[in-house]
Amino acid sequence: MVFKQDRLRRTMMFVPGNNAGMLKDAGIYGADSIMFDLEDAVSLAEKDSARTLVYEALKTVDYGDTELVVRVNGLDTEFVKADVLAMVKAGIDVIRIPKTENAAMIKEMESLVAEAEQRFGRPVGSTHIMAAIESAEGVLNVPAIAKASERMIGVALSAEDYTTDLQTHRYPDGKELEFARNMIIHAARAAHISAFDTVYTDVDNTQGLIDETEYIHQLGYDGKSVINPRQIPVINSVFEPTEAQVKNAQNVIAAIERAHQAGSGVISMNGQMVDRPVVLRAERVMKLAQASGIVDKEGHYIGK
Amino acid sequence: MEIKQTAIDGTLESSDIQITVSQGTAGVQIELTSDVAERFGTQIKATIAQIANDFQLENVKIKAVDQGALDCVIKARTITAIQRALQTSAEPAWEVL
Amino acid sequence: MNPEIRALNLQAEDSKRQWEDFLIGLGIQDFSDTEVSQLDQTLGLFSDGQLVATGSAAGNILKYVAVNHTDLESAGYFNRVVSALLTNLSQRGIFHVLVYTKPQYSLSFQRVGFQEIVHSETAAFLETGDTSISDYLAKLPHDSSGQAGAIVMNANPFTLGHRFLVEQAATQCDRVYVFVVSTNRSLFSAKERLDLVRAGTADLKNVIVVPGADYLVSYATFPAYFLSATTDKIVYQTTIDALIFKERIAPEIGIATRFLGTEPQSKTTDTYNQVLQRVLPPAVRVTVLPRKTAPDGQVISARVVRYAIKNDMIKSVQAIVPVSTYTFLNNHLEELQQRIKKGMKIDGN
Repeated sequence: MVFKQDRLRRTMMFVPGNNAGMLKDAGIYGADSIMFDLEDAVSLAEKDSARTLVYEALKTVDYGDTELVVRVNGLDTEFVKADVLAMVKAGIDVIRIPKTENAAMIKEMESLVAEAEQRFGRPVGSTHIMAAIESAEGVLNVPAIAKASERMIGVALSAEDYTTDLQTHRYPDGKELEFARNMIIHAARAAHISAFDTVYTDVDNTQGLIDETEYIHQLGYDGKSVINPRQIPVINSVFEPTEAQVKNAQNVIAAIERAHQAGSGVISMNGQMVDRPVVLRAERVMKLAQASGIVDKEGHYIGK
Repeated sequence: MEIKQTAIDGTLESSDIQITVSQGTAGVQIELTSDVAERFGTQIKATIAQIANDFQLENVKIKAVDQGALDCVIKARTITAIQRALQTSAEPAWEVL
Repeated sequence: MNPEIRALNLQAEDSKRQWEDFLIGLGIQDFSDTEVSQLDQTLGLFSDGQLVATGSAAGNILKYVAVNHTDLESAGYFNRVVSALLTNLSQRGIFHVLVYTKPQYSLSFQRVGFQEIVHSETAAFLETGDTSISDYLAKLPHDSSGQAGAIVMNANPFTLGHRFLVEQAATQCDRVYVFVVSTNRSLFSAKERLDLVRAGTADLKNVIVVPGADYLVSYATFPAYFLSATTDKIVYQTTIDALIFKERIAPEIGIATRFLGTEPQSKTTDTYNQVLQRVLPPAVRVTVLPRKTAPDGQVISARVVRYAIKNDMIKSVQAIVPVSTYTFLNNHLEELQQRIKKGMKIDGN
C-alpha cells in the first residue's frame, strides 16, 4: 500500500468544488495531492451542486497518479452524509475531516465511510481519512486523533481557524503556530502518518513562501497545502535533494544491492554498518529526486 | 417524474454550462446556446437528454447555455438542476450518478 | 488569482462613488434617484482590488451591466457578472430575466443565452430564463376569424371611461384584445386590475382580456440610464413598447387595429400616442377614440377614483365605475387606504 508514509505529499492543492474550470485543470500543475473542497469554498446554496460536480469529475477526469482528497462538510452538518456516500462511490482516495477536535470524530467518520463502502461495493478499508486540525482543542488531542483509525493517512494544520481560536492572527514569522506545528509533526510521526502544513496565503510573496517551506521542511513535515498552482514548483524546489544527498543515497542503495547479492543481512558501506533509518532516508531522498526530475529512471543523477 | 419548480445550476464561466430546468408540455425540449453548437451541439443535447431520460422526465424544458463544458460538467449541472426542480436535492440520485 | 465577485453597497458613500466613477469612465452618466433607488442588488468584480466589471438588478431586469474592456482578461468578466446576477436572482425564485441595452451589446447577451425580443436604433430588449415571449404568445387565445383590435390599459382601477373605449372598439372589430399592464407599481395590484377589467367587460362577448406580462409594460419603468442626455427618453421607451406590439404581438394574433384614448391632459401619453401612430402603420392601423365624460362634464379618470379612496368619498365615484369595480371598492376600502398611507403614489396614470 502506497498510502501511508511511502507516498510523497509535498503539495496538496485546494480546488473549490463548484468551479468547473479549475476542476478540469487541477491535474496539470503537478501537485502530489489534490483536495477538492465541498466545505468553506462552497456556499450553502451550492452544496448539492459542488457534490455532484466533484463526483462526475472524479468519475471521468484522468488525474493520473495524483492522490485525490475531498474535504467534506463538517460532521455536524446536514450535508456530510451525502458527501461521504457520493465521494466513496466515486472512489476517492482520502476523505478530509474539517475542524477535527477529538478521536471520536475520526471514529464517527470511519463508520460513515465503512457504511458507504459496503453500500456501493467498494473494498472495505480502501477509503482513507485525514484530519484537519483547526482549534486549540484539536491540537491538544492530535496524538489520539492521529492514531484513531487504521484509515488515517495524515493530519493537517489549518491556521486561519486555529489562530482565530487562539485569539491571535497570523504573523509573518509564524511564532503563533510553533506549538501546533510541533504537536502535529510529533503526532503524525508517532502514528506513522503524514503531516501537512497550512496554506501560505500571500500568493505574491515568493520569498515568504520559501522561508516558511524551509522551516516546516526542517521540522520534518511532508509538505504544505497550496491555494495557487504557482506555489507548487516553489515548494517542490525546497524539498528537492542536493546533489551530495543524492550521491550519498545512491551509495546506500548500491550497498543494499551488494548485501542482497551476497545474501548478507548486514548492509555495510565504507566499512561501517548501515542501519535502518539511513536506509529509509536514502529511499526517501531517491523518491524526492525522482519526483524533482533530477535523476533518470535508473536513478542516475542528471541535475536540473 | 413531474417538474415541481423552475431550477437552475451552473454558471456562464469558461468550461461551465448553465442549465435551467422548467415545466414543459411537449416532451423533453432542449434549447442550446453554445459557440461550439455546430460541432458538438448534437452530443451536448444527447448528454442532457440521456439524464432527463434517466430521471424519467416526460415533459420538461431544458435551457442550456454552454461555455465549453466537459461532458462530466454537462452531466453534473443537468443532474443538480433536475434534482432542484424535483425538490430532491438533499439525497444524491444514486440511480443516475 | 481569479477576480472576485462582491456585493456593492450603494448606500455607502465610498462604494457608490467608486461604482459611479467606474461607470462614468465607460460613458454611463445617469445616476438619478429614479434609476438607482430601484436597484435590489449591485455586484462588483474586483481584480487586485480594482473594480473591473459591475452589474445590478431591479426586480427581474438587469441594469448597469458594464465591463472594463481595456483589461486583457476582460473576456470572462461580462460572463461572470451576468452569471452571478442570474444565480442570485434564481435563489430568490426569479428565473425570467430581462435587459434593455445598447444595440451593440445585444450580441454579448445573446451569447450567454439571452434572446432579442426587439431592437430599435437606440436600444435592444432581450430576455432569458424559463419562459419567453414565444410562450406568452402561444398562450394568448388565438382565433383567426375576422378583424381583431387591441387596447392596452393599466386600469387602476377599471372605470366606465375604460369600458367606453372597449365598447367602441368592440363595435368596430370582430374581437378585441384588452391587454392589462402587469407591472406591479400601482395602487391596485396587477391581479386586481386584471380581474376588475374581466368583471367589467364580462358581458361583451367579443372582448378577450389578457395580462400584458413582461411585454406590454408601463413604459415609465423602462430604464433609460444608458442613453445619452440628448436622447428623448420618452420617445425611446415608447418606441420599444410600440415595436414589441407591432413586430411580436400583432402578427401572432392578427391584430389589425390598435385603439387609443385621446389624452388631453398628459403630455407623456400624448407623446406615446404620437410614437404609436408613427411606428405601427401600415402593419397596424391606429384609431384614436374620444374619452367618455362624466355627468359633470369632466373626462372620466381613474385618478379621480383613487383620490376618492384616499379621501374616503367613494360614493362620489359610483356613477363613473362599473358595479363590479364599485363592489370591489366597498369591500376593500380599508386595505386600499392602508396602501396609500404606506406611501403608494396615486398620481400619474
